[in-house]
Amino acid sequence: MNSAEVEVQKLYDQRSRNHFVIWSGVLLLTLMTGSWFIGDFHLDDFFSERHLVNLGRFLNELVPFSLQGRPFSLTETLGWAGRLFWEKGLAATGVTLAISVAAIVLAGSLGALFSLPAARNFMAPDPFIASLSESRQGWGLLWTAAMWGTRAFLIFARAIPEYLWAFLFLTILGPTAAPAVLALGLHNLGILGKLGAEVVENTEGSGLSALRGLGASRLQISLAGLFPLAYSRFLLFFFYRWETCVREATVLGMLGIVSLGYWIQDARARNHYDEMFFLVLLGAFLVLAGDLLSAFAREMVRRYS
Amino acid sequence: MGLRRVLILIILGSGLWAFLHLELTPANLIPNSGGLQVAWNFFSRAFSPALTYEAAFVPAETTPLVWKAVQAAGMTVIFAAAAMSLALVSGLILGFLASTAWWAGDPAGGRSTTQVVLRRSVAPFIYGSTRVLITLMRSIHELLWAVLLLAAFGLSHLSAAVAIAIPFGGTLAKIFAEMIDEAPRDVANAYRGSGASPAQVYLLGLVTRAMPDMITYAFYRFECALRSSAILGFFGYPTLGFFIAASFENLHYGEVWTYLYTLFFLVTVVDWWSGALRKRFAA
Repeated sequence: MNSAEVEVQKLYDQRSRNHFVIWSGVLLLTLMTGSWFIGDFHLDDFFSERHLVNLGRFLNELVPFSLQGRPFSLTETLGWAGRLFWEKGLAATGVTLAISVAAIVLAGSLGALFSLPAARNFMAPDPFIASLSESRQGWGLLWTAAMWGTRAFLIFARAIPEYLWAFLFLTILGPTAAPAVLALGLHNLGILGKLGAEVVENTEGSGLSALRGLGASRLQISLAGLFPLAYSRFLLFFFYRWETCVREATVLGMLGIVSLGYWIQDARARNHYDEMFFLVLLGAFLVLAGDLLSAFAREMVRRYS
Repeated sequence: MGLRRVLILIILGSGLWAFLHLELTPANLIPNSGGLQVAWNFFSRAFSPALTYEAAFVPAETTPLVWKAVQAAGMTVIFAAAAMSLALVSGLILGFLASTAWWAGDPAGGRSTTQVVLRRSVAPFIYGSTRVLITLMRSIHELLWAVLLLAAFGLSHLSAAVAIAIPFGGTLAKIFAEMIDEAPRDVANAYRGSGASPAQVYLLGLVTRAMPDMITYAFYRFECALRSSAILGFFGYPTLGFFIAASFENLHYGEVWTYLYTLFFLVTVVDWWSGALRKRFAA
């Protein structure tokens, strides 16, 4: 070995190795390959002759009913799509959109509130003054306990999926839009509360400690200091979560709330696959429009604040 | 009036429109007496989840409830892991095709006519069509993919895994592509300067640089896959959602909480795991 090779070998031996990262990778790979052997997954379920015949029939039924077995005609297709859109699509799209907006506004306003008691620096015995925050007695202990309580609630709210919350609320509130809005709102409150708390914890402290040093209360600090500083970063998360709300609001209809998912499920139950497919595509279009609007809004926030 | 106030007013205004459009009044949000009773019965069990079945008659050979919850959790993990393996493979391939780093802005790239044609027209075409495909995959929710696949292929475990894998693959591809394109170019430039081939520059210079972010994000998606996998139980798959729905409909609220806490545990473990990985990478 010449000296360069020795040098390279030395560098190689000094490379950073992290056992936690390596074992995480090994475990995850084992989990992913292992699942194929114990999960009852069979390629036959897709590619056996019987399934391929089924698939062919299904694909044929995606063609608009009035056109099946006849030559393609654009006017007929457009007429069919137009009828579906005006009869069901438009109203269902409106409801889907309204559910997503109502839920995100609910989650956003409550999330902004909950992010304060979930933030470490805000709940320290002396908020935003690091050096004095060591004492853990009396009132300080109570503030810390309240922080962990808030965090536990937020973790649980986001660990349970929207669809599951909606299923549970449906029995309690009956088949209005309320369970969908509350379910989406609760799950996203858990997420926005956590992200908001991180924003608060990462907010530059000098101005805030100065306010505290002057004797400002927690409420005054949050209104005069935190809100203006954290506003735009919180809004970025708000719009990002709204995108997922649109996605989920579509699907929650399958539980019986008249968003797009309801009509998709309904068309499937009647074996009207052409109609089902049209509504699925309409949902995809709505999601896409939501993504674009959200990207535009986030760009505006980034640029102007 | 500053943009901030305008934006807040717009958001609150749309919120008001949404509530009015859905005819949601405060009265609507408060359950009637029957609903209140259900709510009380359900939420009061939060602190006393069931450890044994609540049914009056349980056949002797039934699996114990706790063991059943563990099995359902195992199935939830298996479906999520199988879906993630498909999503990761497709996400990496499509993510590569949907990134610009492998073809755009490489002044040292080939100068021959074929190479220029490749870079100017073929590559952008592949890039564009991959982007459209990814968007289509992402825009349809995994439950809707499940509905489509159920109609096309029937109820099989493979349909469930593929239903999750399609939108997740699309999302991973989009995020991976952005991470690769935004990765620091320092290493890549050094490799290129010392004469490495484009493939070497891409794989060793760019992908390695984006790797920590990609791994962390993949973990986050795994957490999402767990939730989706649990929900697929509502379609009849043996994951946690199936048992939650069954117990809830039988009014066995203690059992529901047992399953809910199991799901909570699963998600929290993965959340903690990815958080710990992120800390290791940041150090």
